[in-house]
Amino acid sequence: MGHTSLEKIIALQRNPANIRNLCILAHVDHGKTTLADCLVASNGIISNRLAGKLRYLDSREDEQIRGITMKSSAISLLYKEYLLNLIDSPGHVDFSSEVSTAVRLCDGAIVVIDAVEGVCPQTQVVLRQAWLENIRPVLVVNKMDRLITELKLTSQEAYIHLQKILEQVNAVTGTLFTSKVLEERAEKEKEEKEEKESEASGGDQVYDWSAGLEETDDSHLYFSPDQGNVVFASAIDGWDSGMAQFAHIYSQRMGIRAEVLLKTLWGDFYLNAKAKKIMKGAQNTFVLIIPPQNSWAEDKEKVEKMVTSLGVKLMARDSRHSDPKVLLSAICSQWLPVSQAVLSMVCEKLPSPLDMAAERVEKLMSVGARRFDSLPKETQELKQAFLQCSSEENAPVIVFVSKMFAVDTKALPQNKQRPLTQEEIAQRRELARQRHADRLAANQQAENQDALSLCLSAQMESLAVKEPKLEEDEGTKETFVAFARVYSGVVKRGQRMFVLGPKFDPTQALSMLSEGCSASDALPAVPHLSCCSMESLYLLMGRELEGLEEVPSGNILGIGGLEECVLKSATLSTSPACPPFTPLNFEAAAIVRVAIEPKHPSEMPKLVHGMRLLNQADPCAEVLIQETGEHVLVTAGEVHLQRCLDDLRDRFAKIEISASKPIIPFRETVVRPPKVDMVNEEVGKQQKVAIIHQVKEVSQGRLSDTLHVDSSGLVTLTTPNRLATVAVRAIPLPQDVTRLLEDSSELIRTLEQLNMSLREGRRIDVSPRTLEAITELKSQLESLLQGRKWRNTVERIWAFGPRRYGPNILLNSVEGYHRPSVWQCLVKGERSGEAPVVRDFDNSIVSGFQLATLSGPMCEEPLMGVCFSVEQWDIQSSSEPQHQDSVEEDSASHEASGDGTSTAEGTSETSAQAEGITAGPSQAKRRTEAGSVDCYGPVSGQLIAAMKDACRHAFQAQPQRLMAAMYTCEIMATAEVLGRVYGVLGKREGRVLHEEMKEGTDMFIIKAILPVAESFGFADEIRKRTSGLASPQLVFSHWEVISSDPYWVPTTEEEYLHFGEKADSANQALKYMNAVRRRKGLYVEEKIVEHAEKQRTLSKNK
Amino acid sequence: MSIFTPTNQIRLTNVAVVRMKKGGKRFEIACYKNKVMSWRSGAEKDLDEVLQTNSVFVNVSKGQVAKKDDLSKAFGTDDLTEICKQILAKGELQVSDKERQSQLETMFRDIATIVAEKCVNPETKRPYTVSLIERAMKDIHYSVKANKSTKQQALEVIRQLKESMQIQRAHMRLRLVLPAKEGKRLKEKLKPLLKVVESEEFDEELEMVCLVDPGCFREIDELIRCETKGRGSLEVLSLKDVEEGDEKLE
Repeated sequence: MGHTSLEKIIALQRNPANIRNLCILAHVDHGKTTLADCLVASNGIISNRLAGKLRYLDSREDEQIRGITMKSSAISLLYKEYLLNLIDSPGHVDFSSEVSTAVRLCDGAIVVIDAVEGVCPQTQVVLRQAWLENIRPVLVVNKMDRLITELKLTSQEAYIHLQKILEQVNAVTGTLFTSKVLEERAEKEKEEKEEKESEASGGDQVYDWSAGLEETDDSHLYFSPDQGNVVFASAIDGWDSGMAQFAHIYSQRMGIRAEVLLKTLWGDFYLNAKAKKIMKGAQNTFVLIIPPQNSWAEDKEKVEKMVTSLGVKLMARDSRHSDPKVLLSAICSQWLPVSQAVLSMVCEKLPSPLDMAAERVEKLMSVGARRFDSLPKETQELKQAFLQCSSEENAPVIVFVSKMFAVDTKALPQNKQRPLTQEEIAQRRELARQRHADRLAANQQAENQDALSLCLSAQMESLAVKEPKLEEDEGTKETFVAFARVYSGVVKRGQRMFVLGPKFDPTQALSMLSEGCSASDALPAVPHLSCCSMESLYLLMGRELEGLEEVPSGNILGIGGLEECVLKSATLSTSPACPPFTPLNFEAAAIVRVAIEPKHPSEMPKLVHGMRLLNQADPCAEVLIQETGEHVLVTAGEVHLQRCLDDLRDRFAKIEISASKPIIPFRETVVRPPKVDMVNEEVGKQQKVAIIHQVKEVSQGRLSDTLHVDSSGLVTLTTPNRLATVAVRAIPLPQDVTRLLEDSSELIRTLEQLNMSLREGRRIDVSPRTLEAITELKSQLESLLQGRKWRNTVERIWAFGPRRYGPNILLNSVEGYHRPSVWQCLVKGERSGEAPVVRDFDNSIVSGFQLATLSGPMCEEPLMGVCFSVEQWDIQSSSEPQHQDSVEEDSASHEASGDGTSTAEGTSETSAQAEGITAGPSQAKRRTEAGSVDCYGPVSGQLIAAMKDACRHAFQAQPQRLMAAMYTCEIMATAEVLGRVYGVLGKREGRVLHEEMKEGTDMFIIKAILPVAESFGFADEIRKRTSGLASPQLVFSHWEVISSDPYWVPTTEEEYLHFGEKADSANQALKYMNAVRRRKGLYVEEKIVEHAEKQRTLSKNK
Repeated sequence: MSIFTPTNQIRLTNVAVVRMKKGGKRFEIACYKNKVMSWRSGAEKDLDEVLQTNSVFVNVSKGQVAKKDDLSKAFGTDDLTEICKQILAKGELQVSDKERQSQLETMFRDIATIVAEKCVNPETKRPYTVSLIERAMKDIHYSVKANKSTKQQALEVIRQLKESMQIQRAHMRLRLVLPAKEGKRLKEKLKPLLKVVESEEFDEELEMVCLVDPGCFREIDELIRCETKGRGSLEVLSLKDVEEGDEKLE
C-alpha cells in the first residue's frame, strides 16, 4: 500500500460525511469474501485477476484451507471521495458471535445472497442481527452466472427466479417488522392495562383491535431494485449491475430518459425496441440486463460485435485464450466492474456516521431494562455528541471495543520490516563493504597466524545462528489488538481514557467523581471503572496494520495495549458520564462442552495460560475450571470448537492437547417400593424386590454375622469388637424437601458453623436476618414434612450431608437420646426440662453418615434426597484396656506399612481418616479414656465404619435409583423442521414440555428437558438434521430420578414372558451406572466373554 | 499324533483347569477360558457356559477321570455337578489372558481414581482428573502389581508422579488447641510437620489452624497427646483442602 493512499485515508477520516462503515453479511458460502476481494481489488491492493481467488481477508491458514471465514477482519478502502471501512464477517453459524461484533461497529450492511440458493438459515439470522442493531442493509444478489451456467435459465425465467428471492428476503424483513410492532403493542397494552387496573374504574373499556400494523409504514424497509438497494452481481466473474447504471447505459442507447427507465426496468414492463417505447406487459425489460453469458461467448464473431458495441477494449491475450470463461470475465469485468455498482450503492444508500438514528443511540446507551430517560442528565447530553459525531478537540471521546484479537507481535507496524529508503540502502551497502574489508584483513591476519579459514567459518556460522534465534523469540509472542470504533471525539495516541465495564453505572460514578476530572487524574475507586492509555492506534488493512497518530470520530480502528484492562468488549470514554454500551447480542450461545487436558501433565500451567488468552481473543468461547478439576471449554459449535483447539495448540498454549467428553455427574437415591412391576401387574408382596437383593448379597458372602437386615429395611450392624450396635433405616425424602435443601445449602452451611461454635461454648453474633432465614427454612421444612411418618422429624434432624450441607438428612430416632437439635441456635437461653446431652461418639455417627452420603454404593456418586433414620444405638461400656498404643491406627501408619489385605486396610483407613472428624468437643474426654481401644482400632473409628456400612446397607435395602442431571433446552425452530427436532429429542431421551408459536413469525419455541449425559453432540446433531433452522440452548435445570431400576431382573412369570430370562433390553440406568463404574475402575458385573464356545480357538497342531 | 486315537475321543480346546486338593487327592475340572472369574463373581449364572464337561478328572491333560470312590470319600457326595461347583468355588485356577488383562485394567483405573481423589495441583488447589492421572501413570511406565492393594500402589504412584509433574497430597486442615504452658515448646516440635499455619491465637491457650500433609496426621496426634497428657486437642476442619465450586477463567 502506497503512502499516498494512506495519507488520503487519514485525510478522509476527518470528514465523517464521507465515511461509510459497513460489513458484509451472508449465509456461509454465498460469496462474502469473494465480493470483498473484488472491492479490495478496486483499490489496487490486490490484482484484479486474483480477485475472488485470493480471499485477501481470510488471513488465517485454516481459513484458507477450509475455505470459510472464521474471524471478522476489517479493511479501509477508498472510492471516489469516500472512505469505506469494510468488515468481512464469517457466515458459518458457529461464528455468529463474530458477526455480532462486526455489526455493532457498522452503520450499514451488505447482505449477500446466492442467486441460486436464495434465502438460507444464516441469511435470516444476519438479517435479524442487522435489524436488532438498527443498521440499514442493502442487498447484493451474487452468483448470477450460476443461473445461466448451472440452472440454464432463460432470461425470463431468471427474472422470475430473482423476483421470488427478493420476495423471500422481504418476507423475512416483514416478519421482523411485524414481530417488533406486535411486541411494542403488547408492551403498550400491558402498560395500559396496568394503568387501568390502578385506576380501577369500572367504566366501559374500549379495546383497540387493530394490530397496529396498519398505521406503521414499512415500505422503506424492503428491498427492491427500483429503490436502488439491490445489486445483481457475479463476484467470481467480476461483474455487477445496479439499476442506475443500466438506466444510464440504455438511456444513451435508446434515447429514453434515465429516470423513466429506472422506474420501469424492474417490473412487468417490456421494451419495444422498434418503437423505442416501454410497454406494460408480461415480458419485462429486466431481461435486457442479464448480461452476456457463455453460450455466445463461444461465438467469436458475435463477441467482437459485442465488444465494439459495448466500447470495451479487449486485451489480445484474453481474446486468444481458449477457455471461454477467461474471455467472458475479461469482457464483463471491463464492462461492468463489480466494485462500481456495489460501491456506489453503498455510498448512496448506506448512512454515514453522521446520520446515526437517535433511536439507535438510545438503544446502545441504555443497558438492560433501564430506560434511556432514567439515565442521568450528563449522560443524556452525550447523546448529542453521538449524533453530531464531531471530531472537535473538546468533544467527549467515546469508543466501543467489540472484540479483542490476537496478532503476532511481528506483524505490528513498529516491528515490521519496512522497505528501505535509498539512503538506508546506501548506508547498509557502506556497512557491508566495511565488513567485507574487515573480513579480508582478518583473513590475511589469520593466514599469517596459520589459523586458517576454520575460525572464520565458525564465526560466520555463529552469526548465522544468532539471528534466526532472536526472531524466534519475538515470534512466540501474541499481542492483543482491540477492534473498536470511535463514536465521538478524537482518539490520540497515548491518551488516557476510562474503561467502563458492563456493570458500570454512570449515576454512581458521577456522584463519586468530581466535576471535570479526567482519566489521567488520581481517582477514587469506582466499581467497574478503570483507566488505561491508548498505547498505539492502528488502521486495519486486512492482515496488515498501519500505525496512526490519532483517529477522529466515526472510524473503525485497532487499539493496542489494552489487554490488561479489557477482557472481551468494553466501552472507553473520556467522560465518566458515559454509560457502558448494551452488551452484544449473540445469536448462538455457547453450548458445546468439552474437557481439555494437556498431553503431558506437566504442561498444565501452559494450558491454563493458553485458555486465558483464548478466552480473551474469542468473543463467544468460555473457559472454566470445574470442581472436579476439569478444564472445560464451551464453544458455539463443532467448527468453532475445532478452531479454538487449533488456536490453543498453535498460538496460545503451544502444547499438545486432547479434548474429551466432560465427566457427567450422577446422584444416587432411593424411592418408595413400586406398587406395580415392569409389566404393570400389581406387586403382591411389596418388599419382594428388596428381599431379593438381600438374598443376592448374602449368597455372595458379603454379609457377616454382625449384620442383620429385617424385612422392613431396618439394618442392624455391630462393630467388630461387639461393643456398639447401630440400627439404620433409609427413607426417601419427598421431592420438594430435596429441592428446598439443595436451594438452601448456603444457609445450612452457616447453620452448621453456628452449631459448631455453640457446641464449643463460644458465641458468635449472628445477624437477625440469618436467624430469620433459618427460622423460615425450618418452618418450610415442617410444612413439607407432614404425615404420620414424618411426625416431629424436623426437630429430630441430626445432621445434613454430605459435607454437612447436602440434600440428605440424618434423623435421630433413638429412644431415650435427646441431643440438641440442629436448630439450637434459634433457642436462646431457655433450656427447660431435661438438658440435652451429647453422647460420646456422637460425632462418629455423623461422620459415618457424611462418608456414606458422599459416595453411594451404586457407583460411588453422592447421595441425594435420602433420609437415614438411626433407630437404635447402643454402646456397652468398654472392656479393660489392652495393648492400647500398639494397635492404634491411622492413615499414616497404614500408608507406611506394606502389608494388610485390601479390604481391611480400606475400612481402617476410612475409619482412621474419619476419626479426625470426630475429634470434636468430646476430644479431651475421649483422649482420657483412650482405653476403648482393642485389636480393631479405636471405638470411634470402628463406629464410623459401622455407621457407614449400616447406611450403605440400609440404602441397598430400599429400591435404589440413579438420578441424572437435566438440562432445560429451548429450541427455536421453523414449522418445517419441527418433526426432525422431535426426532432428535426422542432419540436422546429428551422430553418436550411445551411448544408455542412466536407471535408474528413462523418460528416455534419448544421447551424440553434432556439428560446431561445425552447432551454431548446434541447441538451439532440438531443443527445438522434441521439444516441449521433450529438452534438449541441448554441450561442446567435440576436432578431427576431415572425411573428404571438398574438392578432390575425379571421376577414374576409375566415379566419372564415379556422380557425373557436375561432382560438385557436397554436399561438406561444400568447403562449409566456401568459407565461410571467402569470409568472409576470399580467392579462391573459383566462377563469378560459372553459365549464360552465362541472364543478364538488356540488349537494345538495335533 | 498319538497312535492310540479312538474314534470317540473328545478333544478339549481352550481349557482352563481348576484344581483342588481334597482328602489327599488331587481333583481337576476342565473349564472354558475367561469364564471361571465371571462365575466366581456371580456375573455368569449358567454352569454349562463354564464347564467343558461335567466329569471330574484327576488329570485333565491326560484325560484321567477321577474314581467314584475317591470322589465320594473326599466330597461326601457323588453328584458330579455339586462337586464341580465346589471345586469351582474353592479350587485354584489358572487366570486366563483376558481375565488378567481386565483385572489389571480395573486396578489401574482404581489406582488412578484413588490418586485423583487424594491429590491436588498445588498451584490451583484443584484436583486433577482421573484421565490425566492415567496418562501420567502411563508416561512414567507404571506397571500394576496384581498382588498388592490398589491403595498401597496409589501411594507409590503419588511418590513417583511428584518427579514428573506438579502434584501433592491434598492437605488436611487441622485446628490445634494447646495449653499455654506447653504451647511454646510444642510449637517448636510441631513446626516441621506443619505445612502452612493459617492463623494463630495466643491468649489462655494456643490455638492454631494449619494445613498438614495427611501422612503426618498420626505423628501430630501422638505428639500432642503425649506431650500435653490429654489437655491439648486436635480437630480436623476438613479432610481435603480443595477449591470448591466452578471457576471461570478470565
